[in-house]
Amino acid sequence: MKTLFLVVLCILVPRALPAQTSTIEQGRAIYRSNCAFCHGLTGLGGRGPDLVTGERKQDSEIKQIVRNGIPGSTMPAFASFEEDELNRLIAFLHHLAGSAIATQKPSGDPRLGRVMYEKSGCSGCHRIGREGSTYGPDLTRIGAARSLHYLQESITDPSNDVPQQFEGVTVINRDGKKITGLRVNEDTFSIQLRTPSQEFASFDKGKIKEYRPEKNSLMPAYKSMSKTDLDNLIAYLSGLKGSADAGAKVKQSEGIR
Amino acid sequence: MKRLLTGLIFMAAALAQDASGPVTAARLTNALKEPQNWLTYWGDYSAIRHRDIKQINTANVKDLRLDWIFQTGQRGAFETVPLVVNGVMYLTGGEGLAYALDAKSGRQLWEYKYSMPQGIKLCCGTVNRGLALLGDRVFMATPDAHVIALDIHTGKLVWDAEMADYKQGYGATLAPIVVKDKVLAGVSGGEFGIRGFVDAFDAATGRRAWRFYTIPAKGEPGGDSWLAESWKRGGGATWMTGTYDPKLNLVYWGVGNPGPDLYGKERIGDNLYTSSLIALNADTGTLKWHFQFTPHDTHDWDANETPMLLDLPWKGKPRKLVVQTNRNGFYYILDRETGEFLQATAFSRQNWAKGIDPKGRPILNGEIEPSPEGRSMCPGLAGSANWMAPSYNPDTGLFYFPVREQCDVFFSSPPVYIEGKPYWGSVFRGVTEEKEWGLLKAIDPLTGVTKWEFKYYKAPWAGTLSTSGGLVFSGDEDGYLMAFDARSGKLLWRINTGNRLVTAPITYLVEGRQYITMPSGGAVLTFALPEK
Repeated sequence: MKTLFLVVLCILVPRALPAQTSTIEQGRAIYRSNCAFCHGLTGLGGRGPDLVTGERKQDSEIKQIVRNGIPGSTMPAFASFEEDELNRLIAFLHHLAGSAIATQKPSGDPRLGRVMYEKSGCSGCHRIGREGSTYGPDLTRIGAARSLHYLQESITDPSNDVPQQFEGVTVINRDGKKITGLRVNEDTFSIQLRTPSQEFASFDKGKIKEYRPEKNSLMPAYKSMSKTDLDNLIAYLSGLKGSADAGAKVKQSEGIR
Repeated sequence: MKRLLTGLIFMAAALAQDASGPVTAARLTNALKEPQNWLTYWGDYSAIRHRDIKQINTANVKDLRLDWIFQTGQRGAFETVPLVVNGVMYLTGGEGLAYALDAKSGRQLWEYKYSMPQGIKLCCGTVNRGLALLGDRVFMATPDAHVIALDIHTGKLVWDAEMADYKQGYGATLAPIVVKDKVLAGVSGGEFGIRGFVDAFDAATGRRAWRFYTIPAKGEPGGDSWLAESWKRGGGATWMTGTYDPKLNLVYWGVGNPGPDLYGKERIGDNLYTSSLIALNADTGTLKWHFQFTPHDTHDWDANETPMLLDLPWKGKPRKLVVQTNRNGFYYILDRETGEFLQATAFSRQNWAKGIDPKGRPILNGEIEPSPEGRSMCPGLAGSANWMAPSYNPDTGLFYFPVREQCDVFFSSPPVYIEGKPYWGSVFRGVTEEKEWGLLKAIDPLTGVTKWEFKYYKAPWAGTLSTSGGLVFSGDEDGYLMAFDARSGKLLWRINTGNRLVTAPITYLVEGRQYITMPSGGAVLTFALPEK
């Protein structure tokens, strides 16, 4: 309601408001429609990282990131923003940071989290640096890319948000054989999957018996993990901040295309 | 009998001679009688995109294969519709390029590059949709909103006329249309706070003959449909080619969305003639009638989609109709002499209107305007229909068109107008919980009832082509060019062209052999049956 009230005020008496408030409100509108989708309405993060309680970036660095995106991550480039729009957006980010209540810090022990990661068989699907499988999401810089809340949710309830490139599909061949994998590509006539054995499988939709997009994530939900184990694991994952294209570099050096 | 035969031979000879010389206004009027050629953007003035050629047909289309490829070397969307006359193909690329090719071999005959200023901002890239022909000239609109004439034999510039200043946000992407001795064109820029218009230039000299502003000024009829001074940057772009009825001497032009696109509070009113179809006298540019599909649009649901002209029996009586699959999700039938609204039927999912009232005005489904928090609405910003050409087959009596099934969340906030800068009034974002999809639909053009449909994995951007071989050609977003049985909708042939398809196929004959051409990626792909 407050937001609505302010917006209405802006319309009715745009010059009567202090310039600063107006800038922040304009920045809020830009943020809401472009950034909140991933970074949350209050900037505390979601699918995207926390923007307000972590380490502060220089304005020039923020502009660079917004304009160009982060190659190798899901942060897209917002190339069409004008300079004044970026300034308003940054003013709003500072405003959010100023009003953020608590600093988000993981409470667990990252060393024990690492043990948990290895013990739970995470590397059977995930990769950190050169270790592990390319089947599931690469976790090399997951700590820089996701908020703590999102990390926790990804472990206990991974189906809540499945990125498009990790959507599961089950194909049933005419002989009744079932193949489940991640959808790498799909069109009107064909579908290509990545199988858990890290191989590609391609199907002609006209030559299969059934084809079923999986509603749930192919990752199992670790609902019964103890709070301590979970905190430790999150502490470990949140510390993974390798460079954005680390995974790509590793693949390149190993000749994987 | 002998005399009759001699007469027929003489007529045939005269026709053959006519069809091999320069393109005249009379030939443009009778373009459907030259199925071997493709003389205008829509193929003919009525835009039915149907050709009476049946060499490639339902029985043999399975053997259709690639005959030649012409590579422009460009990247990005390739939206041109090539023209073909007397065995020569004329087309445009992006960035102000035009080419003449041998339509039989794909070999280049000339290339033209328009030298344009740096830093041109168009909403959707410096694409171009094609050319217009008359006599020894080809006409082209440029990204910086000029219309130019080139020598058809050499590709050399003959004249260059500015429609409007590109620094104010004007641009042009459409194929011009030649009507009698004039070249008509419109402008892009509905996202930049322009004031739209249709221009007519003298084909010989490039001198402007008339202009019709799609946004009336204060004091003019319709001027009271705009709050305060909002008409001055009211949008109303005219970015797609119009159609023409030579008997009524009326040009039909779809008008774009009002500006700012998504924020309506500073332009309270119906915002005429945005999101409307206008009928203009071809000689003077004066308005004969208008019909507004979406009053006070705030979702970028422009009305630039093809206004197809059909002569069909309406309630038992022959009537001159104009039909449009509008971006707002409804298929409209109007009387094209008077603009009278006859019927509207929803052809896709939509949640913004409860229906259309007897006058043709939508009955809104509650509050539909975008909000700061975001409002989910179907269709999405790109609409259920867009520039993708429909087609009509007189043999089947069916109307074929692509449908986009996709919704968006629309956000709004008051924009600041800066000359030449985007003037959206906030943004839209696809509803991601649900995947988009698409359809190729065949409907009865009089009832809107679906006869068949074919589902695509993604919402398409490619138009259609109909032939008397009983075929409908179209393409999808994954690059498949496809041929369907026009009666049943059965898929008969397909090829993956390797790039999204964003224009419509054409067909033509050279030396009696039928070709199908479809631009894809940066290439012109031409298909034919194997030579015997």
